[in-house]
Amino acid sequence: MLRIEQLSHSFRNGDEITPVLQHIDFQVAKGSMVALLGSSGSGKSTLLNLMAGLMKPTEGNIYINEHNIVKMNENQLAEFRRAHIGFIFQAYELIPNLTVIENVELPFVFQGVSPRKRREKAQHLLEQVGLPDKGKMFVSQLSGGQQQRVSIARSLITEPSVIFADEPTGNLDTKTEDEVISILKQLNKKMNTTFVIVTHEREVAEHTERVLTLKDGRLIEDAVTTSAQAAGSGIGGVHT
Amino acid sequence: MRFGDYIRLSFDQLRRRKVVTILCALGISIGCAAIVVAMSIGESAAKYSEMQMSRWFKLDEITVSPQSTGQSGDPSAKSEIDEGSLLTSQKLELIRTFPHVQAAAPMQEIGGFQTKLTNGTTSYVQVIATDLNSLQAFGHQMRLGAVSDLPQTVIANFGATFGYVDDKARQALYDKLRLNPYDDEVYKQLENLDRLPANLYQQSIQFVQYDQQSGREYLSPPLRVAGVMKKPDSQTDNMAMNQKIMYVSLETAEWLRKQPGFRPIESDSSANMVSTTVEHYPLVTVKVDSQDNVKQVESKIKQLRLNAMHNLEQKERLKEEFAMMRTIALGIGLFILFIASISIVVAMTMSTYQRRRQIGIMKVLGANLRQIRNMFIIEATLIGLLGGIMGVIFSHWIIWGINGLVLSSGAEASEVLFIAPWIIPLGMFFAIITGILAGLYPAINASRTDALTAIRRD
Repeated sequence: MLRIEQLSHSFRNGDEITPVLQHIDFQVAKGSMVALLGSSGSGKSTLLNLMAGLMKPTEGNIYINEHNIVKMNENQLAEFRRAHIGFIFQAYELIPNLTVIENVELPFVFQGVSPRKRREKAQHLLEQVGLPDKGKMFVSQLSGGQQQRVSIARSLITEPSVIFADEPTGNLDTKTEDEVISILKQLNKKMNTTFVIVTHEREVAEHTERVLTLKDGRLIEDAVTTSAQAAGSGIGGVHT
Repeated sequence: MRFGDYIRLSFDQLRRRKVVTILCALGISIGCAAIVVAMSIGESAAKYSEMQMSRWFKLDEITVSPQSTGQSGDPSAKSEIDEGSLLTSQKLELIRTFPHVQAAAPMQEIGGFQTKLTNGTTSYVQVIATDLNSLQAFGHQMRLGAVSDLPQTVIANFGATFGYVDDKARQALYDKLRLNPYDDEVYKQLENLDRLPANLYQQSIQFVQYDQQSGREYLSPPLRVAGVMKKPDSQTDNMAMNQKIMYVSLETAEWLRKQPGFRPIESDSSANMVSTTVEHYPLVTVKVDSQDNVKQVESKIKQLRLNAMHNLEQKERLKEEFAMMRTIALGIGLFILFIASISIVVAMTMSTYQRRRQIGIMKVLGANLRQIRNMFIIEATLIGLLGGIMGVIFSHWIIWGINGLVLSSGAEASEVLFIAPWIIPLGMFFAIITGILAGLYPAINASRTDALTAIRRD
């Protein structure tokens, strides 16, 4: 579903070249939930941006559903993101002048879906994330946890192949963090959507099936989590 | 992305930034109002001048004269008459058969005469000799009586029935004026005298002719007023009262000329007319069914080796002058709009920077370059539309205010300004176009926003 091949990326600052990612290789199967774990500066956010097509790598290929997004131009990437990729941001990134339900509908607006159909779907997703009666409110009237749930609902509306979540619990307290993780896990199982979660917290990563650990731009570990082992799921092995 | 969604999202943005939106729209509205008001003043002035022209000049009539007549005033021209270029009765008959010709008749001014009624009151009229039976075809309608075939009859127009005053009374007022030329009261009294109506129908009148050399006064034999015309619809009362005309038949004109002391006092051509009624005419007036066909009839007349003159050229010259005036007015309005457009460019560019993060999110969620660009262009278009609507409202207030001032200064209702229906869409068009053009740069700028840079939080 998601295949990364020999991915490298470096930033140029004048004559100085700083490598950020070096020869990353891994695959993520459809419907799995994977964490990208690493401390600050490890290159995990850069990897996420590359996989989402927001940046072009210096070297390597990124395949999503067998489409190499490295070869796509900006408009093709926009179309591809619209159809195949969902995003969950650390700071939710909802549009403040739109209502909750309008925010959830937004990716469908860019797809030109009819207002009736997108309203039905958005309402259904709000029910899924436990906010069935908040549709008409503005996002500023919601708590941080509720806003992140709206963001999750928004990421799911186009039924994407993969959802990239960048520190989805980074702005939340522990209790809300657990709630959001629980919702993500439920949706992962229920909708069979692939989740790639970027986090610097091992506790959060432990909720997923598999943890890819990055350090200094290299993938140093690819391990199945204890929770996944307990559940009997499958991908293992450690890369160094 | 659906058009309705573009409108909704753009409208939301404008609603969020009310003050900036209103200020931008205000700038556009001033430009739009300037265009509408300037164009309306030009249009009203053009319409007023056209109306005045139609009142004073017949625009659907052609004056025909022979090519070799002594119109130039050169008496020797008579001896060089080429018979083929004369305006003969056969040619007149032929002109009457031309398409679009409603009437054609000799129509010649005999001159201005003092007119005396049996009660001794007098007034002044112009006397025109023509084929009286053609008057109705020339658009004159009778109020009283009818055209008569009998000799020594006249037809008076509406204006010729006013202003019959006793000579002594008039003279007394003139004497007062001589003593005090600034006496408004006397002017008013004289004006009122000129507006006194007289019942001329079936009355006997006499024309008075003065011989300037001997100082002697000649009175014509009595003539009977066989008919009185209606006031033409296109003329105001004031205009009609000042146009005092009596029509006589060609035969009556001939008879009049033979009276002791009487002779046509105008040009030699008039003399020609009276003496050669049967053979040829110095002047014939042709009425055409529409102004649009005047040139076509004119060219056919010219093919008969005749001179043809009409007033359309004056109208066209006037039109050209007003077209230039309109262009200048439009230019002023467009300049103001251009200045206003700068405010939109600035406001929208500012807004682009303020909304970089939002644009980035939209791009991450799948909005492409075109969609982002269109959102900003539609926003700018909505500002243009709003400015246009405000501009049209302002321009109505301005015109209403100017008209209030004009009317309070005693002007006629026909002199007020109006906004022609075609000016409003024109003003709106320029306002919207200004919005779109001003929105282009910010829109392109916004669409080029790098999504990653925009959403990054440092």
